[in-house]
Amino acid sequence: MKNSILKLAIIAVSLSPVWAAEDFKLPIDLDKLAERAKESVDVALDSSTLQLASGFLSRDDPDEAQVKKMVGKLKGIYVRSFEFDKEGQYSMNDVQAIRAQLKGPKWSRIVGVKSIKGENTEVYLLKNGDQIGGIVVLDAEPKELTIVHVDGSISPEELSRLSGHMGIPEMGRTKKRTKRDSAPEGAEPRL
Amino acid sequence: MTPFEDELKQALQRQEPAADFTARVLARCAAEETKARGWFGTWRLGAVVAGLLIAVGGTVYQQHEREVRGLAAKRKLILAVHIAGSKLQEVQQRVAESAEVDQ
Repeated sequence: MKNSILKLAIIAVSLSPVWAAEDFKLPIDLDKLAERAKESVDVALDSSTLQLASGFLSRDDPDEAQVKKMVGKLKGIYVRSFEFDKEGQYSMNDVQAIRAQLKGPKWSRIVGVKSIKGENTEVYLLKNGDQIGGIVVLDAEPKELTIVHVDGSISPEELSRLSGHMGIPEMGRTKKRTKRDSAPEGAEPRL
Repeated sequence: MTPFEDELKQALQRQEPAADFTARVLARCAAEETKARGWFGTWRLGAVVAGLLIAVGGTVYQQHEREVRGLAAKRKLILAVHIAGSKLQEVQQRVAESAEVDQ
């Protein structure tokens, strides 16, 4: 009996790093950036809070109904966004700490866009078989750092479908860039 | 028999109560019981009303608290969806523009 418990414990311990590798958590270190930021956003909505919020979304309002439908499949939404007065307020180590968590076998980077202005945006997907288990958007700009983690079954298309709703700019109305501003960085444009 | 003993005997002599004594005692007992029952009834009613008020007040407060938390969560959710959607839009736009540049 004792041996089987020991074996189970060993198996559990040996498997735990694999699970941990897929479990994305926003680093606590990011709190220090908030002190330097001109503006910061910290949204942490776990499953129960999402359900609570969902109960207050109207079924009659088309925008809210769409979000309500989407939220039903989610386990959490976490957003950290910092806007700084000047450049160099966050280090690449801060960004690397986030990227390091997305190196697991189930995470794949589907988009990476780098511009000569120093804007670096990446989109990562967590794959659970054929399903998408989560999305992480990492947007590192000289004066802005945004990390969005949507935990749960959702596709980027679903989020994009909200274009023109909920205050999300309609596709084609976002800021236009010049020809030399942006350059793709080896990623399939699936969005 | 000494005068003292005589006096004592007289003092301790059995005396019959008045004819209506029993009726008066019973009536008094009944009145006290009714009075006590009345007070108990009032207190009991008061306790029930107070309990009801506390229960209703508690429920209303809980509902209000839930509504406040729910509306705050809704605002946060809309903000989160807005930021997530906007960022994805920006990425989409950049990718589309990059594709145009490539062509």
